[in-house]
Amino acid sequence: MERRDFLKVSVLTGATAALSGCEKPAHTLVRFIPEEDLIPSVATWKPSVCTLCPAGCGLMVRVLPGEAEVVRNGKLGTIQMGLAKKLEGNPNHPVNWGKLCARGQAGLQITYHPDRVRSPLKRSGPRGSGSFQPVTWEESIREVVSKLQELQSQNQSESLRFVSACLRGQRHELVRKFLSAFGAPAAMVFDPLDEPVLRQANLLSFGQADMPSFDLAHTGYVISFGADFLGTWNSPVAQSIAYGEMRQGRPGNRAKFVQVEQRMSQTGANADEWIAPRAGTEGAMALGLAHVILKEKLRPAADNKATRLIAGWSQGLAEYSPEQVERKTGVPAQRIQRLAHEMAAHLPAVAIIGGLPLAHTNGLFNALAVNALNTLLGSVGMPGGLFFTPQPPSENAGSWSSESDFASVLLAGKLDGTKVLLLHNANPVFATPAVWKVRETLDRIPFIVSFGSFVDETSQLADLILPDHSPLESWLHDVPKSGTNQAVVSLAAPAMLPLHDTRAMPDTLLEIAHQIGGEAAKALPWENFQEMLQASMAPLRTADGINPPPDPEKFWSKVQEQGGWWSDKVRQAARSAIPQKQLVTEFAPPQFDGEESSFPFHFQPYVSQAFLDGSLAHLPWMQEMPDALSTVMWGTWVEINPKTAQKLAIEQDDLVEVRSQHGKLLAPLLVSPGIAFDVVAMPMGQGHESFGRYASGRGANPMTILAPMQVAETGSLAWASTRVQVSKVGKAKLALFSGGLFERPSELQQR
Amino acid sequence: MAHRWGMAVDLDRCTGCEACVVACRAENNIPSVGEDQAQKGRAIHWIRVERYYEGEFPDVRVKFQPVLCQQCNNAPCEPVCPTYASYHTDEGLNGQVYNRCIGTRYCANACSYTVRFFNFFNPAWDKPLHLQLNPDVSLRQVGIMEKCTFCVQRIKSAEIRAKEEKRELRDGEPAPACVQSCPPRALVFGDLNDPESEVSRLARSRRGVKLLGELGTQPNVTYLQRNEWNDNNT
Repeated sequence: MERRDFLKVSVLTGATAALSGCEKPAHTLVRFIPEEDLIPSVATWKPSVCTLCPAGCGLMVRVLPGEAEVVRNGKLGTIQMGLAKKLEGNPNHPVNWGKLCARGQAGLQITYHPDRVRSPLKRSGPRGSGSFQPVTWEESIREVVSKLQELQSQNQSESLRFVSACLRGQRHELVRKFLSAFGAPAAMVFDPLDEPVLRQANLLSFGQADMPSFDLAHTGYVISFGADFLGTWNSPVAQSIAYGEMRQGRPGNRAKFVQVEQRMSQTGANADEWIAPRAGTEGAMALGLAHVILKEKLRPAADNKATRLIAGWSQGLAEYSPEQVERKTGVPAQRIQRLAHEMAAHLPAVAIIGGLPLAHTNGLFNALAVNALNTLLGSVGMPGGLFFTPQPPSENAGSWSSESDFASVLLAGKLDGTKVLLLHNANPVFATPAVWKVRETLDRIPFIVSFGSFVDETSQLADLILPDHSPLESWLHDVPKSGTNQAVVSLAAPAMLPLHDTRAMPDTLLEIAHQIGGEAAKALPWENFQEMLQASMAPLRTADGINPPPDPEKFWSKVQEQGGWWSDKVRQAARSAIPQKQLVTEFAPPQFDGEESSFPFHFQPYVSQAFLDGSLAHLPWMQEMPDALSTVMWGTWVEINPKTAQKLAIEQDDLVEVRSQHGKLLAPLLVSPGIAFDVVAMPMGQGHESFGRYASGRGANPMTILAPMQVAETGSLAWASTRVQVSKVGKAKLALFSGGLFERPSELQQR
Repeated sequence: MAHRWGMAVDLDRCTGCEACVVACRAENNIPSVGEDQAQKGRAIHWIRVERYYEGEFPDVRVKFQPVLCQQCNNAPCEPVCPTYASYHTDEGLNGQVYNRCIGTRYCANACSYTVRFFNFFNPAWDKPLHLQLNPDVSLRQVGIMEKCTFCVQRIKSAEIRAKEEKRELRDGEPAPACVQSCPPRALVFGDLNDPESEVSRLARSRRGVKLLGELGTQPNVTYLQRNEWNDNNT
């Protein structure tokens, strides 16, 4: 219907209403509603890809015409353009089937954030001062090129370093090709949301260094060790969709869900049974369950790679009788007996591990123990169990496993010879323990280039900022590693034109490579990223996908239209290639930094529902979203059990000092019943010094006081291994959404 | 037959993920008020996730409950409005005509569910955040009340599309932003006048209850109680 016709109709109905209204004057006012306010706009929906966490959900962007102030050819002006108005899930995307989490939806605010870097910037004051001046793209790219050519002419190509959050798909491929053609070491990954310990365990147990996926929709029993799989962990939207089915999707068959953790997470809040063992003993508890199942022959004994990694498995785990496990974990022997019986009686059952249990010094043991339990339950590669997302057939789909870990490079002192550092989407200055001295190390690097859209703590040290487009303004390409049983390549054209004088990082890198010439230019022949993507998608046309059109051009438009390529539904059994390295692990108690006598509490930072590791703290929608459990808005808090608070004579809204051997922080106290007596918990994400107006100078950052403890075998940060003390230093005030929605009386008194 | 829009909230599916809260914010141009005003209880959330703790450590249980306007059939907010700003639509919604509202806040006092919010300020967005605003939803000025509309603009839009294509609305076709986003499908929306619609079937569930049903407000929102696990339910 044309708008004009609609107006006619509404005028007519309006007239009728008025006429009938004349008969009953009292109703006239009540019935008349300004219909013209209710004419909805006609939107275009464009597919896109969410880049905010490793899940890689598919998006649909609602685009409407509007007037925007933009920079074109270096000049500011107002133009009419398509503007992204809302983000929803792509209904056909095999990861998220039209659904989207709170964070993904708030991603819209990145594009329109008032503190985005709007043009290339050059440092104009001392390093870290935050003073920059705008420069042109030509100038800044020339500067980078001359620095890099200088390295080449001095045979110092290996002193170029690239640090990035987990990269996937063709962005990954581009960076890999660039670095290897230039002669630089592979990119370093810095991503606090990555689970290197679990991926290592999966490599050892199942021959695949990837995150697992879970068939929760068809399972009969779920036990999760610390994984916040409905909130922030792995592929939360895919897992939440399946969770709904597991609860109410099968009439008469509602699976049981048990959560094991010391501080009740949003996921744990939904459990049928919640168990808090001693910190770091989750693996021992998993083996206690396995012991009962083996001893009482509830399941046939499994003998394969996953179980042969565990010391004593073939002897029936003699050291993990319920009584011995009770002594290690504090979980009563009878409860372990009961859980094991329940599990075996409600197959298919699946065990999940993620988050804090992997962040103890014995994290790898905990993960291997849970993998072995899954094997015993017969859930690996089976319906209702654990599986790995199949990968697309094209060989260049890319993964991050070849990269080195930023922390291990840093801690080995190998960052010191770096002459030029390229920084993409990573903020290691913010999200690392202060004792690692990342800021000081980066300070010694002569030339730092950031592709950041915001001047965060790490970009603040840059000599040059070459701002990337926002994701909605970019060509996007991603290959999800978990959350679906279909091979997926997500692809999207820009949903809108750029607002500012920014450039897509891949295009900037291509331009730099072309100007350097030589090997780098040869390895990256594409004019722009779009060309590279089109070339990379071409082989998928003949692969077993959804209705592949016969001609390449049509295929290219079709994948853009639907937001990518995905295979027909295939469930792939877990690969069982035997890795070279054999290690047999036995329970090692977790090590902690700090004596129990002076530092009585385990300090457990956790991934924030709103901000993840802190990368989303700049979004006002996330700041004002009440945290599900604490209902806090705009702040950080320190969580403690009411009985512990009573003992320490502290109460809610006291300002407390949390002190470890390596630092201290101040934050308001939140008394919460869902936390063990000897644990102090705190969400990550706040405490930014520099991250736009909504996040800067707000709250405290728990990462700063962590001890430099490492997970055995993998070397990654054991961020649950710090002990702390807590004391009251004053009063504070949390903004809570709970406790009544009326204006606070104190406010009325102030008037 | 006219539609009567209703919602079912399955508390056994709800995980407290807050996707609905942000979806509502994005769809309905809800302003952010900042920390100081939030502390004073002036934050606006047309839908919220309430959280209830039960028990003491280690036997702690939590219940999440999303609460939005219950779109009562017998709404306490409507008769108290001196300017007919709160009115009942033909399709069963508790409407709010912003340009009639004079901010007496009687409706907020009368409402049993605390889902009506007063605008203490004119809305403001730091530029260019204003470009995210949804043109289908009017901005509310200082001094007036606002509330959940069941995303009436999305209902209208679906109705117009169906009319254009000369067909009836499909069950589940109009979906408020919260329902559209909900990952575990805890929120279901539809026509209560259609006995075959999913929302009607859920509203008849044995687990179904009305929030503060004893008050006689006759809400169009039904809550489905969370199930307890027991060994026999396989």
